Amino acid sequence: MNRTQSLRQDVRDQDGRRRDGRGAAAPRPRPGADRDSAYWWEAVGEGRFLVQYCADCRTPRFPAREVCAVCLSLEWEWREGTGTGTVDGWTVTRRTFHPAFEAPYTVLRVALDDGPALYCWGRLVGADPGDLRRGQPVEAVFTDTGPAPGAGAPTGGGAFTKVVDWRPRE
Amino acid sequence: MAGTGLSGAASLAGVGTTPFSRDSGISTTALACRAVLTALDDAGLGIGDVDGIATHRVGDSSPPWVVGPALGITDPAWHLDQFGGGGVSHAVIGQAALAVAAGIADVVVCYRAINARSEFRMGGQGRAPAGAFDLQYQAPYGLLAPVQHYAVPARAHMQAYGTTHEHLGAIAVRQRANAAANPRALKRDPITLDDYLASPWVSEPFRLLDCCLETDGACALVVTSAERARDLRRPPVDIAAAAWAGGHSTYSPPAPGGLGDDLTTSSAARLAPRLYAMAGLGPDDVDLAELYDCFTWTVVVQLEDYGFCRKGEGGPFAASEALGIGGELPVNTHGGFLSEGYVHGINHVAEAVGQLRGDAGPRQVDGAEVALSTGQPGYVLAGTSALLLTAGR
Ligand SMILES: [Zn+2]
Repeated sequence: MNRTQSLRQDVRDQDGRRRDGRGAAAPRPRPGADRDSAYWWEAVGEGRFLVQYCADCRTPRFPAREVCAVCLSLEWEWREGTGTGTVDGWTVTRRTFHPAFEAPYTVLRVALDDGPALYCWGRLVGADPGDLRRGQPVEAVFTDTGPAPGAGAPTGGGAFTKVVDWRPRE
Repeated sequence: MAGTGLSGAASLAGVGTTPFSRDSGISTTALACRAVLTALDDAGLGIGDVDGIATHRVGDSSPPWVVGPALGITDPAWHLDQFGGGGVSHAVIGQAALAVAAGIADVVVCYRAINARSEFRMGGQGRAPAGAFDLQYQAPYGLLAPVQHYAVPARAHMQAYGTTHEHLGAIAVRQRANAAANPRALKRDPITLDDYLASPWVSEPFRLLDCCLETDGACALVVTSAERARDLRRPPVDIAAAAWAGGHSTYSPPAPGGLGDDLTTSSAARLAPRLYAMAGLGPDDVDLAELYDCFTWTVVVQLEDYGFCRKGEGGPFAASEALGIGGELPVNTHGGFLSEGYVHGINHVAEAVGQLRGDAGPRQVDGAEVALSTGQPGYVLAGTSALLLTAGR
């Protein structure tokens, strides 16, 4: 073993989970909300898909920000979003990058129906990725994220009790 | 309005690289020091001449305030520790040129040192995702590695324009052939399109052979005034233009009605007019292009967005003979990040300098006078940067 190898982290983290994607599943990463987005994530936890609107020029924006990029207003309001959109792009990941996500799985970039330039991400559920096409209608579903990572885990953070995934819409 | 004051003000006077490997066995500080000393020797300069030091990094490498003092550079008149990945790789050199043009520094060393295979693997498994901000919208779904972030716009481009796996494969095959003529390259054994199509999926539409190498190594470049460069050891390579553009990030949201709506066009489409205008040159003047190739597809989109072909035609153009060493637009003449190695952008600049000096040996592009070298085209950690370089006279 040379000097560099001896400095590498062991394949198992301090909780004994493998870090290389093999073996037992691990909790999903929860990178944590920021102070702009916390309200949105809390609503997701209640199964609600909100969209933030400028209270002055009425432009919708996503993700949450304090300031409107169109008119610079600091006033905003939350509205119930459509929870629908169209597929903009996707990838089918066939290699496991994190033990919480066993390959294969499909992540979508979805253009929300609530307005232009609003994009949300999430996993494809209830469909074969081979049938995906750009512009395909999809709707949000709320997925429980399971137990929180243990204290001190590198991916600990905000609540994230649910996340938004997407399924094809008829 | 964009000024042209930077054009021709600064030059690249020295270049240094360490060997590229899968395990350097030494620290990033040591790699950086070796590359800097090699670049200074190339220029015919010494440590005592250096009054500026700069790098870019993502928390994975030795900073200027470690590398500088390690070499006896304890009080640089200008320094830059730029956070960021390939999108800022060329910005660091552009910013050094600004410092030189403004008279703040005379001789700046720009380096990038990484143990990207043996210590800090960007595509590695089990890495904890970065902090909150916009990764909060991707990480909870398992969208964690750069290969996944690029796969999404690549898939969109394939759907929108009919770009094929064979187009992407042709890039990998050609760059491997270029690497065969490059002693520094890590991967020199030829591959075929069948090899490419048989390589395992990583994140569709990308296979293993769509992905750049994970490399240990360092490169350094010496930036000084065009005037001083003409008194130094090697033929100068002039910075005809440096340009920056804002984000088209998969992390950051687009502003309503603004940037980033269309994944199939990169930030390079906004950078290119600034770059060409500053130099007074256009795509037809470019003799060779070192295009940021973290994945094959970024070559496709940059061929379009830097104006070498029309939108949507990047796939067929990339697969044509035009991009070979003897073609109309040789691209990634050293093998690129796919086959030479990945030093996070800066080894493209090193290759462009070698070509413009006429030093590239069996892969030399005849009559190389103008080279384009580009950073990551703005999809991840928003923002992009690029350089137009010309052979000094
Ligand atoms: Zn507004």
